[in-house]
Amino acid sequence: MTVIELNHLTKHYGKSRGIRDVNLAVEEGEIFGFIGPNGAGKSTTIRTLLGLIYPTSGSAAVFGRNCTEHPEIRKELGYLPSEVFYYDNMRVIDLLNYSASFYKKDCTKRIRELAEMMDLDLKKKIDDLSFGNKKKVGIVQGLLHEPKLIILDEPTSGLDPLMQQKFFELIAEENRKGATVFFSSHILSEVQKMCSRVAFIKEGEIIKLERMSTLQESSYKRISLESAAAIRKEDFSLAGVSHLEVNGNAAKFIFKGNINAIMKAITAVELRNLSVEEPDLEEIFMHYYVKED
Amino acid sequence: MNIFRHELKSLRKSGMLWAAAMIALAGLFLSLYPSVAGDTEDFRKLLEGYPASVRAMLGIHLDVISSLMGYYSMVFVYIAICGAIQAMHLGASILSRESRERTADFLLVKPVSRISIVTAKLLAACTVIIATDMVFFAVTAILAGAVAAAGYSMHLFVLLNLPLLFIQMIFLAIGLAVSVFFSRLKNVLPLSLGTVFGLYIAGALLNADAKEGAGRYLSPFQYFDSIYIIEHSGYEIQYLFAGALLIAVAVAVTCRIYVRKDIHAV
Repeated sequence: MTVIELNHLTKHYGKSRGIRDVNLAVEEGEIFGFIGPNGAGKSTTIRTLLGLIYPTSGSAAVFGRNCTEHPEIRKELGYLPSEVFYYDNMRVIDLLNYSASFYKKDCTKRIRELAEMMDLDLKKKIDDLSFGNKKKVGIVQGLLHEPKLIILDEPTSGLDPLMQQKFFELIAEENRKGATVFFSSHILSEVQKMCSRVAFIKEGEIIKLERMSTLQESSYKRISLESAAAIRKEDFSLAGVSHLEVNGNAAKFIFKGNINAIMKAITAVELRNLSVEEPDLEEIFMHYYVKED
Repeated sequence: MNIFRHELKSLRKSGMLWAAAMIALAGLFLSLYPSVAGDTEDFRKLLEGYPASVRAMLGIHLDVISSLMGYYSMVFVYIAICGAIQAMHLGASILSRESRERTADFLLVKPVSRISIVTAKLLAACTVIIATDMVFFAVTAILAGAVAAAGYSMHLFVLLNLPLLFIQMIFLAIGLAVSVFFSRLKNVLPLSLGTVFGLYIAGALLNADAKEGAGRYLSPFQYFDSIYIIEHSGYEIQYLFAGALLIAVAVAVTCRIYVRKDIHAV
């Protein structure tokens, strides 16, 4: 079954661009990654799915029904925004109970479970919570009704690494139980860990839709190194290297391909310092444009 | 029902404060009444010194001022302004609050239609206003009984106070309708104060010029003329209709705009 279906979805904000002709289909049980730099249109797409904004043209459907015309589809939908804001003068448990009251089923047990898992104090007032703890409230709030579709909009910002880990375990568990996950992020590695397919969006348009397995074969690394002696450009002129900058004893480049090949080239140099990082998305996008267009 | 309950809870405190403020205002005015009644002639002479147009603007009618009802009808306009500010503020903030406090992403992704959100919030606001008015009326009636030299007509007192509710309903609806046109209303108070005082002053100025005519429809404060109420023990039907129509149009506009409104990210 197709859980999310976007057909030629377009949204203009006055003169400025929103999204243009977005087509997507997310199948039941998938973890679908939605990747793009800030301002690319991720949130616009998600807000249309949630029925918060109306498309200029095209359509968005969840569980086969139009998102803006059928509020009842949101019974089976859980949403975690990147920044959470709640009614400040409430206690955590009151907010969660208020949230649960919209779903017409008993969520008490699930609230306890989730709160315990996320190490969240239910008796505290929401104003007294730190950003990270508010985020935890958001997670519990988004999952307490055991939704069949979970929409995550940059979910990990504000969570410490331990909590991120727990959060991903939680999402994976929900997925095993059958939930479909739509996961938007600007951090590729985060998506790489979980998703089966991923769509890249840039400047309001989907520029690529790929299986994760394909993408993993082409994992990108940003490598910078310093050596004892001067580096020649030829030392790193092998397939998969791009954006090479050599500056005396230092070199910087982006590498795509078999990591062993580049390690051989690196070990041939007398190293003083080395760092291997995930390149940020912009760099990868640049790559996509150059290579595949 | 859950939205209604939630809203009532969060509005409870401000409702009580408004009721207290209005009671204090009425209490202050009523406590002055015995001295006014005792010195009717001096007081009347003092007011006669005002130009007729100023008296008309302030709603002062020399022939009824010495009776408790006449006196009350003169000070009632200030209570009505107070109540109108409460209602306008309530109306302008009850929907826009979700965007301002960024809780729209919580409420509007719940499986409820926008119409039911508007309905629940509107009902909650009406309930708060009615509760405020009932408390206000109960306390003021006791105060009036305490200061009335001779007895007073409870029937007339109810008739004089009821316009408070009508005016508040009108301003509640205006507040709602105005608020949905802003994509994010940052500050509600200037809007409420501006609209209420603007309409009050407009009404007072028009009233000073001409008693009747189309101009009177412009300001809801002019819909309920206290002298007419005192003389006829009733309201002018065309203005009741005008008020009802205004409310209906404002609520319809609110629903129509709000249902199709884009809720933007923060």
